[in-house]
Amino acid sequence: MQYYDSGWVGVLVTVLIVAVILATIYRSTKMEGNLFIRRIAGLNAIDEAIGRATEMGRPVVMVPGIGGLDAIAVQAINIFAKVTQTAAKFATPIKLCCADAAVYAVAQETIRDVYQREGLIERFDSEAVQFVSDRQFAFAAGVAGIIRREKVAAAFFLGAFFAESLIFAESANAMGAIQVAGSTQTTQTPFFVAACDYVLIGDEFYAASAYLTRHPILVGSLIGQDYAKIFYAALITFGCLLTSYQMAFTMKTHKRENRQWVALEAPERKTKKDTTFGYIFDVESPTEEEMKVERPQRQPNWWEQAPEAEGGN
Amino acid sequence: MDLMAQISWSHRAGEGGIWTMMLVGFFIGMALMFVISRAPTRARRPIVGAFTFLSGLFYVMLYLWPTPKSKGQFDIPQGPVESVGFFLQDTVPVVKDFASILTAFLLGLGVFSLLRIHLSRIFKGHKDRFFSATLLVSMVLMMIVGYAQWYQREFTAAAKTTDYGNPDNWTGAMQAFDFLFDGLLQQMDAAMFSIIAFFILSAAYRAFRIRSVEATIMLGTALILMLSLMGLVDYLSTTAVASLGGDQNVLQNFTLKSVSDWIKNNLQSPSLRAMEFGVGLGALAMGLRLWLNLERGGVGG
Repeated sequence: MQYYDSGWVGVLVTVLIVAVILATIYRSTKMEGNLFIRRIAGLNAIDEAIGRATEMGRPVVMVPGIGGLDAIAVQAINIFAKVTQTAAKFATPIKLCCADAAVYAVAQETIRDVYQREGLIERFDSEAVQFVSDRQFAFAAGVAGIIRREKVAAAFFLGAFFAESLIFAESANAMGAIQVAGSTQTTQTPFFVAACDYVLIGDEFYAASAYLTRHPILVGSLIGQDYAKIFYAALITFGCLLTSYQMAFTMKTHKRENRQWVALEAPERKTKKDTTFGYIFDVESPTEEEMKVERPQRQPNWWEQAPEAEGGN
Repeated sequence: MDLMAQISWSHRAGEGGIWTMMLVGFFIGMALMFVISRAPTRARRPIVGAFTFLSGLFYVMLYLWPTPKSKGQFDIPQGPVESVGFFLQDTVPVVKDFASILTAFLLGLGVFSLLRIHLSRIFKGHKDRFFSATLLVSMVLMMIVGYAQWYQREFTAAAKTTDYGNPDNWTGAMQAFDFLFDGLLQQMDAAMFSIIAFFILSAAYRAFRIRSVEATIMLGTALILMLSLMGLVDYLSTTAVASLGGDQNVLQNFTLKSVSDWIKNNLQSPSLRAMEFGVGLGALAMGLRLWLNLERGGVGG
């Protein structure tokens, strides 16, 4: 009884997209050969950035944003693992600065695993991954300080960034570092575009692990995302055409009033809300009366009783 | 569905049984920790995968399962669908508590990282040892003063009779905390935030140089938007267009304000929405891969 009117549409679309992504993952694991992914300049620049740091003998700094441990942070750590893999081979020092303790714990384990897998565990510096601060501007000051004091040669800013993004980007630029940045926050992308050498825009950030590893599962997932995008684009185009047609050429004879359809005295031109898509996405909230349900009551447990009921203790 | 009601979180901690459940939970937790720490590296991935799947399954169920209407605190669920719905709703705060406890442990790990790195710098005579010492002294001072003022504010005998809303009644620890937090930390935060203004200027200077077609388009667009926000320039542009004809003049569409509004509504907003669609789909696919243990490389092992 949760989904009034058309609230189920969102769930249905989500389930469909999940099904498509899973189907494309399954299909790509059965296919042979590399599937095509268009060139992403920011990811191609990883080797160039590390090569430069190696030549200069300076460290590479990586920042997975200031968000908590979510899909964004995990994706950032995945990319950093690839960066670290290359850096480990050339014995280039790395610095991974975290603003969240959970991200720090996962990042440290992942980076250590990379050195171990490469058989270069002796090159792993336990101070390479560090927790700086969970306060936004304390973290910004700390990372900017590390960038300047260590004179980093390459900087990777990938993850959820907010107002501190430009502090990092400009500090790294002042040191002459190559910068590769990418944020899922659309408000911060313009700052990175203005200040950094390479920027991963929008879902390029999530395409990174498929691009770097070419693993069939990851590439399959990327293809699924593309199908979903095509579906969305088609839906938007269809919605625009249908809404335009309905608003321009069809009239309404009834209107919604107090949750009832009421006949109009004379036909009126439809507004955006009266169109099919307007109706689907403008879900009517249930009234208090509709939400009311009578159920039998259980006895409250002792810890659920108000102090008065227990005798005022 | 009685079984579901029996294991419902709100029913478990009752009438003395709470201590039994706490002890059982503690021992199960310790046993799990022991097993995981002893597990060979090869077996860790399936263990982590199983935990991730179960945790993810809970939230998927919560999203897909119908939410009971107007659930009251003491309501008894009617039928199997509502029973599961009640169970899921009751479990949410418990799962959140688990997450909070884990976060608290991890924060300890973060503090340990700070101590290890900065103490070693101090003792090894690293060139940045003074920064490290400042950080550690500030951290310890803030902890001591913070706890002292909290204790005095909440637990002392004076706390019940004194109005600490009035700064005249503050103790030494409260004044010290106010100085450290509002007087220093907040001001330094504000200073760091203010620095962004200068960084915007230097970044804009570099970005707006005409080096390519893209940079030129960006420069032109930014110029129109910035000028449209300047009252005098906007007034002059509107007046100039109005002088060329009446209100119905087609040139009204080319005032700075109209052009900047058109850019924002027809170019900027759709582009941002398209990016957000892509990011949302990427996050969904990423979440799906993590949940089903399909992630490869990096965190996925």
